[in-house]
Amino acid sequence: MPTRFTATGWGALLFCLMIGSAWAEVVVVVSVQNPVETLSRAELSDIYLGRLNRLPNGASVVPIDQREGTSTRGEFYKKYLGITPAQVKAHWSRLIFTGRGQPPRSVPGDDAVADVVAEAPNAIGYLDPGPGLVDDRLRVVTVE
Amino acid sequence: MGDGGTVIGHWLHRLVAPPVLFTGIALLFLAVIWGTTLNLVAREHASAERTAAALAADVANTYEAQVVRALREIDTTLKMIRYNLGDAPAQEVLDELRHQELLPPELLFTASVTDARGDVIASTHPASEANQNYFPLARKEDDMVVGQTQRSEGGAERQLSFGRRIESAAGQVEGIVVVSVDAGYFVSGYDSGVLGDQGVLGLVGTDGVFRIRRTGDEVSTGGIIDYDSLVASNDIDNAPATVRHNTWDGIRRYTIARKLYDFPLAIVVGLSEAERLAPVARKERTYFWRAGTASALLIAVMALLGRLSWQLHKARARVLEERVAHAREVEYLAYHDNLTGLPNRALFSRLLSQGMQYARRYEKRMALLFLDLDRFKVINDSLGHDAGDELLQEMGRRLCEATRESDVVARLGGDEFVIILPEIIEGTQVAPVAEKVLAAVGRPFMLAGQEFRVTVSIGIALFPEDGEDEQTLTKNADIAMYHAKEEGKNNFQFYSEKLNTDSLERLTLESSMRRALVNQEFRLFYQSKQDMITGRITGMEALLRWQHPDLGLIPPMQFIPLAEENSLIVPIGRWVLHTACRQNVAWQKEGFPALSMAVNLSMRQFLDEHLIKDIKDALQETGMAPELLELEITESMIMHDMQRTIGILHELKKMGVRIAIDDFGTGYSSLSKLKEFPLDTIKIDSSFIGDIARCAEDRSLTEAIIELGKSLSLIVVAEGVESEEQVDYLRAHSCDQFQGFYINKPMPAAEFAAAVRKQRRGEANSGSSPGQPDSH
Repeated sequence: MPTRFTATGWGALLFCLMIGSAWAEVVVVVSVQNPVETLSRAELSDIYLGRLNRLPNGASVVPIDQREGTSTRGEFYKKYLGITPAQVKAHWSRLIFTGRGQPPRSVPGDDAVADVVAEAPNAIGYLDPGPGLVDDRLRVVTVE
Repeated sequence: MGDGGTVIGHWLHRLVAPPVLFTGIALLFLAVIWGTTLNLVAREHASAERTAAALAADVANTYEAQVVRALREIDTTLKMIRYNLGDAPAQEVLDELRHQELLPPELLFTASVTDARGDVIASTHPASEANQNYFPLARKEDDMVVGQTQRSEGGAERQLSFGRRIESAAGQVEGIVVVSVDAGYFVSGYDSGVLGDQGVLGLVGTDGVFRIRRTGDEVSTGGIIDYDSLVASNDIDNAPATVRHNTWDGIRRYTIARKLYDFPLAIVVGLSEAERLAPVARKERTYFWRAGTASALLIAVMALLGRLSWQLHKARARVLEERVAHAREVEYLAYHDNLTGLPNRALFSRLLSQGMQYARRYEKRMALLFLDLDRFKVINDSLGHDAGDELLQEMGRRLCEATRESDVVARLGGDEFVIILPEIIEGTQVAPVAEKVLAAVGRPFMLAGQEFRVTVSIGIALFPEDGEDEQTLTKNADIAMYHAKEEGKNNFQFYSEKLNTDSLERLTLESSMRRALVNQEFRLFYQSKQDMITGRITGMEALLRWQHPDLGLIPPMQFIPLAEENSLIVPIGRWVLHTACRQNVAWQKEGFPALSMAVNLSMRQFLDEHLIKDIKDALQETGMAPELLELEITESMIMHDMQRTIGILHELKKMGVRIAIDDFGTGYSSLSKLKEFPLDTIKIDSSFIGDIARCAEDRSLTEAIIELGKSLSLIVVAEGVESEEQVDYLRAHSCDQFQGFYINKPMPAAEFAAAVRKQRRGEANSGSSPGQPDSH
């Protein structure tokens, strides 16, 4: 499909740019079966803070978090949501206590994220794209 | 009833008086404004308090439910872990449970298992530190125990652990299942929107130790409080919160502390009183501010109205004052003489009658002085009315100075003044006052650049003896004054009954004198003058008599002074002049020789400005030859105003009239001045002639006068000659002519004509020796 190709091509380009940089860049990924290609920062933030469970196109979305203490997790929240892990904890603490939400399911690391997202078309996750992690199963979502 | 009505009316009147009315309205409005404001504030305050208390209760209910649910979840987790232990190693059990998502979110919660000694043998967070303060209690307690909050090493986390013991079938403690959570979890529901910055949420153990407490963003642990006093008294469900002073931070809050069912914990919820009441306090301030503004405005408006009303009141008062002042002025003018400022006749009359009433009641005496300036008419006529006015003003001042404050000085009009002396004891007390007045008036003063002296005649009447009513007293004082005039002026006279009689006569004369001219009651008598040598009649002197219808013939002495006073002398003198001239002309026509006719001029006549014209008229109308008319004036008349006299005399001389000085020797003529007067004749006063035989002094004076006359080329006439002896003496001393009883007395025209004819016949018949008088 031309669209698929185009999307993959864009993802590959972005990937190459990331590799080229000195820092390991955390990226947001979805299953290739998921049509989402771009998300706004606000949408991503809402999804991870439990305020949004459907994408703009109407499809449901399930965020996958990483375990507390991993460097990728800290990097992700800082880069995309602009908040610290302590703030994330306080946020969920209040939602859980008041019974208005549950935090995203968390998995041990980047590999686990890649596996879980690849298998669930409605899942969204983040990872530090180490060698071979972002393969045919996953697509990097552009966050604007 | 009437009294009550008046009193009520009086009060009503007082109430509507502007100051009272405006103050009253202002107070009423102020009362309404502040009453409403205070009521409103009280209600708002109460309402805010109720709302705060109810809100605190609501928050407490919600919080209680949330805490209980969270604790149940934790307890359920504990029980579930404990249940699954035994078959497999503890760590595997935990991992399996986690995999099955049966454990609470590991983001917050840590689940662990210890052995009987308390060492951790399995955990969802292996690296996490063991917190064992729950341990001793957990070993003993059958139920879930709550540990103390413990800070992690980094300090960011406050771990609170909940534990349940694991028992063997034999009841042996084999270990503890533990769930730890950040204590902040229990206060994460703190909502600033509801609780504000000073509210409180907290969990306190039944041991009185705060496991966690949050106020605003500040989270703390570990404070110890008196659990019983905080919780026990606040047990009732849904009861509104009460304001309490929170001992841990000293803030007053609507506080609810409630023990949780089944757990050794109590919740504490508090809403800061200051914060909850801040909006209402702001509102109250607004209300007070508005009320204050309204009050100030009201007071300002009322003050303005009050001021306006006051000004109106003042303006009215001023108008009233002006009216009163005007009325006073009018009254003053009505009762005062506007020239001198003294009381006028009307006020005098009132004061006199008042004084008399007073004197009558207290049996006092009083005196009335009636004053009339002497010679005022002369001054007024000769210097003009302005000078006369000035004189009167000066006199008014002097009279006031000469009397006491309590005496009344009034001007009745013209030159008449009166003085009332109230409260005298003796009539003699009046004399010094009168003398003082005479002296004060008699002082010289300057008028129109000349020094003048005026005198006054004073008549005094005493109350009650000289008159018991106003009119009588005034009239009698007037009579006394006339008497003073008769006594030579410049003196004072007391009234007496006799004066009254004289005065009555005088009054009769005065009133009838006016009629006399019209009724032709005046007569002229003629007395001849004879030549000393030839004895021939050379002329006659016309003498005035009054043939009164009731009183008979009245001599001039009795009515001439009166005529001088009331100015009738001028028309009378004019009549005399005309009559004398007409008679003379008649006799000439009858064939009499050219006899001269002497006519006396009075002072008033002489000073009258129409004198010259009157004489001219008389001469023209009668056709009398001027040289036959001889005008007789007295020495004192000449000396009164010499310049003027010389002027008049020259005028007369121009007309050809002859001039004689009457009564020469009695006045004080300056002999050196005498030659300046254009005179023709001097007449020696009869007083010298009468004693000429006996008194050497009179003889020498007579001789001197004759000498003087001769040296001035004047004709010298002797008056009042009564004997042959006198005639001889005078002839011996070269006196020219004489007149007197020796030859004839004054007689009516017919008799006089007869006498003349007789003499002429005698002359014609005998050619007898001249100088022989008719036999008497």
